[in-house]
Amino acid sequence: MDYTQELSKAVNELRRITGVTLDVSADTPEEAKQALAQIRCLCTAYKEKYNKADFLQSLMTGGIPAYDIHERAARLHITPEERRVLFLLEFRSADETVNEILKNLFPSQTKTYLVPIAEHTIAILRPLRSGESAEDVHHIARTIVDTLNMEALAQLHLSFSSVIDTLADLPEAFRETSLALKVGKLFYSEQTVFPYNELGIGRLIYQLPVSLCENFLKEIFGPDIPEEIDEETAATISRFFQNNLNIAETSRQLHMHRNTLIYRLEQIQKRTGLDLRLFEDAMTYKIATMVLNYLNAERNQ
Amino acid sequence: MASLSLEGIQKIYPNGFHAVKDFNLDIEDKEFIIFVGPSGCGKSTTLRMIAGLEDISGGTLKIDGKVMNDVEPKDRDIAMVFQNYALYPHMTVYDNMAFGLKLRKVPKDEIDKKVREAARILDLEKLLDRKPKALSGGQRQRVAMGRAIVRNPKVFLMDEPLSNLDAKLRVQMRIEISKLHENLGATIIYVTHDQTEAMTLGTRIVVMKDGVVQQVDTPQNLYNTPCNLFVAGFIGSPQMNFMDAKCSVKGDDVTLTVGNHVLKVPASKKKALIDGGYDGKTVVLGIRPEDVHDSEAFISNSPDSIIESTIKVYELLGAEVFLYFDVEGTQMTARVNPRTTLRTGDKAVFALDMEKIHVFDKDTELTITN
Repeated sequence: MDYTQELSKAVNELRRITGVTLDVSADTPEEAKQALAQIRCLCTAYKEKYNKADFLQSLMTGGIPAYDIHERAARLHITPEERRVLFLLEFRSADETVNEILKNLFPSQTKTYLVPIAEHTIAILRPLRSGESAEDVHHIARTIVDTLNMEALAQLHLSFSSVIDTLADLPEAFRETSLALKVGKLFYSEQTVFPYNELGIGRLIYQLPVSLCENFLKEIFGPDIPEEIDEETAATISRFFQNNLNIAETSRQLHMHRNTLIYRLEQIQKRTGLDLRLFEDAMTYKIATMVLNYLNAERNQ
Repeated sequence: MASLSLEGIQKIYPNGFHAVKDFNLDIEDKEFIIFVGPSGCGKSTTLRMIAGLEDISGGTLKIDGKVMNDVEPKDRDIAMVFQNYALYPHMTVYDNMAFGLKLRKVPKDEIDKKVREAARILDLEKLLDRKPKALSGGQRQRVAMGRAIVRNPKVFLMDEPLSNLDAKLRVQMRIEISKLHENLGATIIYVTHDQTEAMTLGTRIVVMKDGVVQQVDTPQNLYNTPCNLFVAGFIGSPQMNFMDAKCSVKGDDVTLTVGNHVLKVPASKKKALIDGGYDGKTVVLGIRPEDVHDSEAFISNSPDSIIESTIKVYELLGAEVFLYFDVEGTQMTARVNPRTTLRTGDKAVFALDMEKIHVFDKDTELTITN
């Protein structure tokens, strides 16, 4: 192992998080190894003691035991008991603009914490002011998205959790927002904001075991489950569903003769046995396509 | 500034939702284009595709002749103003407007020049040292506009920027935006679901429904010659009256019958009905509320376009009166002079201005007479 290089990295990391510059020299590999371990310990100790984002990140990911939360939060001057909402933001561009905008949108005095989760993901833990309702939380979410769209011109998705009263609930809130982001992008891709409590049937499907989903699809499509529904059929059926199974309106909107639409529906009936003109069959087909999308996403992961 | 071209633009989401279908439009330099339509019609999605905030599923987007489909949003030279903008609470108006340029590492003196110029255009010069909490709703909105203006973009994209303002402020800001367009000579694409905003601001309006462009035209032409039932009903407030009517052709005469009322179609409209083979068929008759008259002079001059009913609601709006009544089970509205003597419960006689009627095919919903 090249201790000199690792040592240099560790010294840089220490300077980045504490502002302290160390001049380290080691004559032997053993000395270098020892120095490296000590500097890493310093970094960890500093992060644990002074870095709020690091503490919150560890808390969200289940890295802090429940008995330790209050004490460590108090050390970092974070109020443990306060009504808060967790927003989870995922963006495509990797520049610093998004971070800078968020820092200025939520300056330190607002007691909102920005917690980097991954290169393209940031969690925002925001306290709720007295009188702020669920509708206000929606508005805050939209404001974050619109402001970042305007200022950073960034493609992004945002999910948010239910309201939590204590930091001990933060890991659960993080699980909620992570799930909302995954389910939202998969099933409601036309939206950018995904509230945890509005995931609908997508949440149910997402939590089903893959084997159960595959069995369901076999029931619908037989042994040859299609990889995906072809684009044209998917678009036609989607529009048919949007129009509440109204053939005349759908064919008019798609500039398609009604007989062409009926022919396509009959082709699906031949393949699946489902007559999409009937509500129950249409519902089954809709769920089947959602399950299919889910399995494809699972496979591509 | 810039011209834009949208050729066969499509948006299909991975879940199969077809949000925008075959969108074609050429936008000239300095045009003020409005995308209007009901919620979920694809207008914001189209705007977001132009901005690069949504990937384009099909078709070609060009800005100044260059294909932009795969160009990063920040490299498209556009600026956006959205509905739910937020100002940075701890910064002054000046800093709020300068912030985006600072992020882009624009030199200080250039930032100063651009901010002061934008402040001058928006009449914010005296407010540059204020913090957002000391501003009114309209002033905040102007700061949000200022943040877009300082970028000096080729195209401004605005997505319902006035939706969060109260009615009075919206009217005021509408005038400001209109002035801004004149002062900047900018190409602006503006999304709204409010047809009054669309009619007053746009040089051309794109009416959308269910992801499909219904009609692209000037506000006046949209109002006077809507291409289908949807556009006719969407543009105009109160909306156009619609009635099912049976078309009869006897020799050179064409009549439309609504229940007991027989209305004679004028020469300017009847050719389309005869040529289209509508004799004996049911069509949809449309007439705007201001073309339903209650004045005695008009009624006596229009014996072939009389309808009778009982006034259900009388609504005085100051400069005009809306009268609501039923004709063969369909609710109708007349916009009449406030000096009318008609009141709720009165038996009333109206005459339709048959030169102003619109006739639509009942199946295709397309216009027959425009």
